[in-house]
Amino acid sequence: MSVVEKEKNNYKEEKIVTALSKKLNKKVNIQRKKRLWVSIEPKEIVDACSIAYDMGFEHLSTISVTDWIEKNNFEIAYHLWSYKEKMLLTIKARINRENPTISSVTSLWSKNAELCERECHEFYGVIFKGNINLTPLMLEDWDGPPPFRKDFDWRKYVQQEYYNESNPREDNYFEVKK
Amino acid sequence: MTEIEEKQGDFEMYFGPAHPGSGNFSVRVQLRGERVMKAVVDPGYLHRGFEKLMEYREPMQNSVLSDRICVLEPLQWNLLHAEAVDTLMGYDIPERAKYIRVILAELSRIQSHFIWYAVMSMGTGFTTGFNVAMGYRDYMLDVFDYITGGRLYPAGYICPGGVRKDLPEKAEKKILTLFEKIDYMHKFAKKENPAWLERFKEVGVLTKEEAIKLGATGPILRASGVASDVRRDDPYEIYDELEFEIPVLDEGDAYSRYLIAMQEIEESKKIVKQAIDRMPKGEVKTPNMKPIVHFRKAKGETYTRNELSRGEGAIYMIATGKKTPYRVKIRGPSFTHMIPILKHLLTDSYYADVPAIYWSLNQCPADVDR
Amino acid sequence: MKLSVISEIFKNLFKRPMTVLFPMEKVEIPERERAKHKFDIDNCISCGSCAKICLNKAIKMVEVKKEYKEKYPKTYPQIDLGKCCFCALCQDICPTGCLILTEDFYLATFDKDSIIIEPLKI
Repeated sequence: MSVVEKEKNNYKEEKIVTALSKKLNKKVNIQRKKRLWVSIEPKEIVDACSIAYDMGFEHLSTISVTDWIEKNNFEIAYHLWSYKEKMLLTIKARINRENPTISSVTSLWSKNAELCERECHEFYGVIFKGNINLTPLMLEDWDGPPPFRKDFDWRKYVQQEYYNESNPREDNYFEVKK
Repeated sequence: MTEIEEKQGDFEMYFGPAHPGSGNFSVRVQLRGERVMKAVVDPGYLHRGFEKLMEYREPMQNSVLSDRICVLEPLQWNLLHAEAVDTLMGYDIPERAKYIRVILAELSRIQSHFIWYAVMSMGTGFTTGFNVAMGYRDYMLDVFDYITGGRLYPAGYICPGGVRKDLPEKAEKKILTLFEKIDYMHKFAKKENPAWLERFKEVGVLTKEEAIKLGATGPILRASGVASDVRRDDPYEIYDELEFEIPVLDEGDAYSRYLIAMQEIEESKKIVKQAIDRMPKGEVKTPNMKPIVHFRKAKGETYTRNELSRGEGAIYMIATGKKTPYRVKIRGPSFTHMIPILKHLLTDSYYADVPAIYWSLNQCPADVDR
Repeated sequence: MKLSVISEIFKNLFKRPMTVLFPMEKVEIPERERAKHKFDIDNCISCGSCAKICLNKAIKMVEVKKEYKEKYPKTYPQIDLGKCCFCALCQDICPTGCLILTEDFYLATFDKDSIIIEPLKI
């Protein structure tokens, strides 16, 4: 890639950053090439997403939840791709771990958002207000805590449920990690 | 969506998980006569919890895990995982390793599209197509075996920091002879098949707007008229230096999806040939000899996207300075294809079209469930 | 071009089959094939890195039988092929190269105990 082209690309990113920052009233950061991110308040999520949608970020790549157990909150990240600008915008919102509720974005991405939120609800127990279909997706007959949370120790659960310490082929699963 | 009132005579049919070729995936279709009133998708037969498993393991071990995400395109998932770790670690990949990665990923794409052709023909009762495609795919697996040491699973051949071993002697020659061998299959698959025209033409039409809204990616999106390819839009490895075209069709039906697959095989062949021509000599790994990634040095997060043969695959990885990644989120391309899009296309179609629509979406239940 | 069934049939009549008759004929196994392990106990330095990197915990460091303890006093890797995923990370990490994966892929067995490779073969 020539130098001129590179400058052009950077210019393009900055143009979008300034436009987005103005509309969202938040500082939009450039992580690396073609990757932008912005952190917002959880109650603004639908507005922020619709602003991004209008700016061309039409493709909802995925919604991911990260469990920050030390800070006692969940970080919900919406990864949006723009077919026009060819850029990825990550919108992040932090919600309290005790009361994990956030508005649903099904109004924008209909079934796609519904599905992503269903997955997040199943694995993290996040409740999306406005999503009418939060039924179990993948786990069958599971009534324990949401399994992807950090305080759910998967290894311990499997040791109790499925492994036998007296079996010589399985005893090394019980070794304590240093 | 309005709920449909149940009438007397309505009945429910199961399509999968014990259907030959449906994979570990099930669709419940509610029928009124021949018409599908509603389709309920039931994934989860293959849920292995990779996202959680990866939180417990180190990146080098995860790279072995990563090829189990999708059985039909393990090398591409390998590449995706390796890239995510590379970005976090700031590895500077040797030039030769990049070329090897691209060659293997594209071979994997051809192989995966062969399977697509195979399941599509099996779904419509064209068993010859299935046999031919699977047979010729096996020649490709022999080459994978020769290069990576495993027919299906490369077991982390494309690892963080490069590739684990250099190409063996005569590998380039083997790949080129392989292309001559599979040429017959490609010609066979490209031929116009009257039975397919009947089964696939104007079936399962996905318009451009719906495709974007429902999150379609890859060949499905391109068949609906959006020229979008991660290799072009968000280039990784050496794709910005190579010349290739992105096939786009406007119809959005099952037949155009098949046509896209056939053209993509052609493009992938072109890419592999170019890469073999231009491949430089030199190292294939960052100087670190042992298969260990010092992940404690990594901090931050990355959202790495790749063009898999089924669409856009992505890994969202967060490192907090521990030995293992703090969080790994995997986005499989079939996740959106198999659930919202399949539901949308099946509603109000005929029962006889269900297999045609189902297989035209290039499904992989393994990356839906992960 | 249209697909013509008759011409395809005639073409295929004179082609060699794609498959081989297995016990009599064999497919060539490449050098890099990752299959059954081979362990050379004399070169092993008992570092345990193979057990550490194994992602399925298929490798366990064990002591050898009493009769041979004088000659081999340390702990050595015992491999459970039932758990092994044949990724060859143990081969790559081994500092002395005493643990390698061979081309022997005939691993099907009726006997559950035979899938465990003891460090010392007697």
